[in-house]
Amino acid sequence: MSSLAAALADVVGGAQVLARPATLHVYRSDALPGLRALPSLAVFPATPDELIGVIRVLAAHDAPFVARGAGTGLSGGALADGITLVGLHRMRRILALDPVARTATVEPGVVNATLTRAAAPHGLHYAPDPSSQAACTIGGNIAENAGGPHCLKYGVTLDHVVAATIVLPDGEVVTLDRGDEGGYDLLGAFVGSEGCFGVVVDVTVRLTPDPERIVTLLADFTSVDTAADATSQVVAAGIVPAALELMDAATIGAVESSVYAAGYPRDAAAVLLVEVDGAADGVEADVTHLTALLRDAGARGVRVAHDPADRARLWQGRKKAFGAMGRIAPHLVVQDAVVPRTRLAELLRTIEGIGVRHGVRVCNVFHAGDGNLHPNIPCDTDDPAEAARVHAAMSEIMTACIAAGGSITGEHGVGIDKLGYMDALFTPETLDAMCRLREVFDPGRRANPGKAVPVHACREWHAVPAGRRGVA
Amino acid sequence: MTGAPTTSSVTVTPTSVDAMVDVVRDAVATTRPLRIAGAEQWPAAGHPVRATITVRCSALRGISHYTPGDLTLSCGAGTTLAELDEATGANGQWCPLLPWGDDAGTVGATIATATAGPFAERLGRPRQLVLGLEAVDGRAQRISPGGRVVKNVAGFDLTRLFTGSWGTLAILTTLHLRLRARPSVDESWWINDGDAARLHAFARGPHLPLAVHRTDGASKGLDGEGWLVRLGGNRAAVESARETLRGCGTMAPVATEIWDRVRLVDAPSSPALAWPWTPLARRVRAQFDPSGILNPGLLGDPE
Ligand SMILES: Cc1cc2nc3c(=O)[nH]c(=O)nc-3n(C[C@H](O)[C@H](O)[C@H](O)COP(=O)(O)OP(=O)(O)OC[C@H]3O[C@@H](n4cnc5c(N)ncnc54)[C@H](O)[C@@H]3O)c2cc1C
Repeated sequence: MSSLAAALADVVGGAQVLARPATLHVYRSDALPGLRALPSLAVFPATPDELIGVIRVLAAHDAPFVARGAGTGLSGGALADGITLVGLHRMRRILALDPVARTATVEPGVVNATLTRAAAPHGLHYAPDPSSQAACTIGGNIAENAGGPHCLKYGVTLDHVVAATIVLPDGEVVTLDRGDEGGYDLLGAFVGSEGCFGVVVDVTVRLTPDPERIVTLLADFTSVDTAADATSQVVAAGIVPAALELMDAATIGAVESSVYAAGYPRDAAAVLLVEVDGAADGVEADVTHLTALLRDAGARGVRVAHDPADRARLWQGRKKAFGAMGRIAPHLVVQDAVVPRTRLAELLRTIEGIGVRHGVRVCNVFHAGDGNLHPNIPCDTDDPAEAARVHAAMSEIMTACIAAGGSITGEHGVGIDKLGYMDALFTPETLDAMCRLREVFDPGRRANPGKAVPVHACREWHAVPAGRRGVA
Repeated sequence: MTGAPTTSSVTVTPTSVDAMVDVVRDAVATTRPLRIAGAEQWPAAGHPVRATITVRCSALRGISHYTPGDLTLSCGAGTTLAELDEATGANGQWCPLLPWGDDAGTVGATIATATAGPFAERLGRPRQLVLGLEAVDGRAQRISPGGRVVKNVAGFDLTRLFTGSWGTLAILTTLHLRLRARPSVDESWWINDGDAARLHAFARGPHLPLAVHRTDGASKGLDGEGWLVRLGGNRAAVESARETLRGCGTMAPVATEIWDRVRLVDAPSSPALAWPWTPLARRVRAQFDPSGILNPGLLGDPE
């Protein structure tokens, strides 16, 4: 056993340190297919003190590390290439839940849906609802600034985080907040930092009251263009849906052929799933308005689901769409990009053309209300020729989104997967400033090295120490 | 947007971002600190600034990009809140910053100070309404984090860092903002002798009022102590909210303009006066303004 492993074992016990490649195998990827990297060690602290102890041992050994929640990340962020992986799944206590203040304080390994379940008896829920909510952790959500369908109305993770205790990579423990009472918004800077600024020890989040009434509408269209344009019309009309999701024919087909069949019309070119919630009277007025508006915008049919079972079924197809696509091919490359909402129809046409040209099948299922695209490609990434075609198609899609004034990621993060697009999105001076922000938190560059911002952009970072390159 | 000058000062008003970069570069080279100003509506918001040169952002003015269907808008930092309100209002939209102070203030100063207002809880704080920005930091580097789209997690979040940094890390030059549709029905009520517990419950309840604001009436031409309540939404939503509100006390309708008065007279004390200079905060400052030329002293930072 290395001296590092021995020192870590002193903190967490020998059973919670893995060093043999065979036992480390499960940690060699996250949910991004096609990219694998084996950590040299994995360590699993169970308490805040153990976590802080682990980070201090790593600091004393000048050892780089990667924090890992549930490993559902889609950008390769939780991969540790030959360095130590700090797994947080054992830190899953809800430390406090205050129904009056509507806040909860949790350890980073608490699963997103578990928090909502704990809040449910108080008529509250945790609003950010990534489709992976049954598995992903709050710590991972903070690191990625995760979103979800209901973020259209309720905001992303950042809007729900009040304070956090962080252990910085050098072992110092700090409490961060948004600076509303004075102070730089260091918590705002931390959220979305992809594990590069330190590790969340605990976090206090806002809980949201359950709405009095929820109604889900399914509108189906004979053209993707019309469906995309309808989203702009809904938002422009001043209705703020709780969620506004678009699924295209390829996605509908995948869902309807799977165990998650939701009753989407198989012959539609696209469906919109629209949800409105709030106080009862206002919601009913919105539903009437929406139904008329969607019809005028060209919907062939609008189905209104009031009862929870019917609503759950409509949502199941959306939430399990990635899983349903998984049946089509061994791997699913999930993409994430953002464009201005008014350009959705145009971009979807462009994406279709790119798919045809490269001979890949693109399934679109996405947060249309935010212009947050998920063009997904079912494929076999172990087939080099196919992997190359998928990669070429994805690059063109990204380039088109950037050209349209959009972004390369709305919620999944840059990780390793998207480092190559950062230069097209930001100026060298901006990337350098991002590196300087990282210096504030992690001057030793030991937390998740090589992720999120390309190292070559960091002007004052001369040679990156050997073994610090991560997988980048 | 910043503290009063300590000594008589020269004022420069750059008319382009390039000119702004030159001003900062000169300041670094000559170690002559800058006091950064918007429309100078709030001169006493922080501690005095130790600077002899004042940089006004007022000439970086105007809306450069506005697509109503996207509910996004970009404007120069010197654009006034009144100009923003007028442009967006023409499309039934607004950027509901509505900060403490008045609409002669600039968008840049509102974001730089992260000044919220009586509707922030419900309509969003400045930190939630800014999508991206362009800025010149204390090394004279032009930085443009974030973007114009409403959802974006690419790169480390300098937008959040610079918002509310009071011009001590960077001079904001352009802001990309999120807009919202104005509520189709928008009405305000004065409730004196209200039932505090019920109003509290109303504020937290399903009707989501735009504001429930406890205040003295005298400074607003009203009687006694009470609550100003603003309701917004579709007609059915506002009507049912109003019915619930009736159970909270005696209501009298008031004009929406009353909120302009509220924003002027009910502002809380400035957070600039209570700045926590933690080791991390000092490190941030050192990275973005290593020569200490941007608003030195404003946040009570030691010399
Ligand atoms: C089927 C499916 C659907 C998805 N849907 C969505 C969606 O709708 N919206 C969305 O935003 N994402 C979605 N995702 C992506 C993913 O679930 C989110 O990024 C999630 O936040 C990752 O959480 P995790 O616990 O799995 O983190 P991991 O994958 O384990 O880690 C992700 C990153 O967080 C860092 N990290 C983890 N824990 C900590 C900590 N305690 N402190 C500091 N850093 C930490 C890691 O180093 C890594 O960089 C989906 C994924 C899948 C597989």
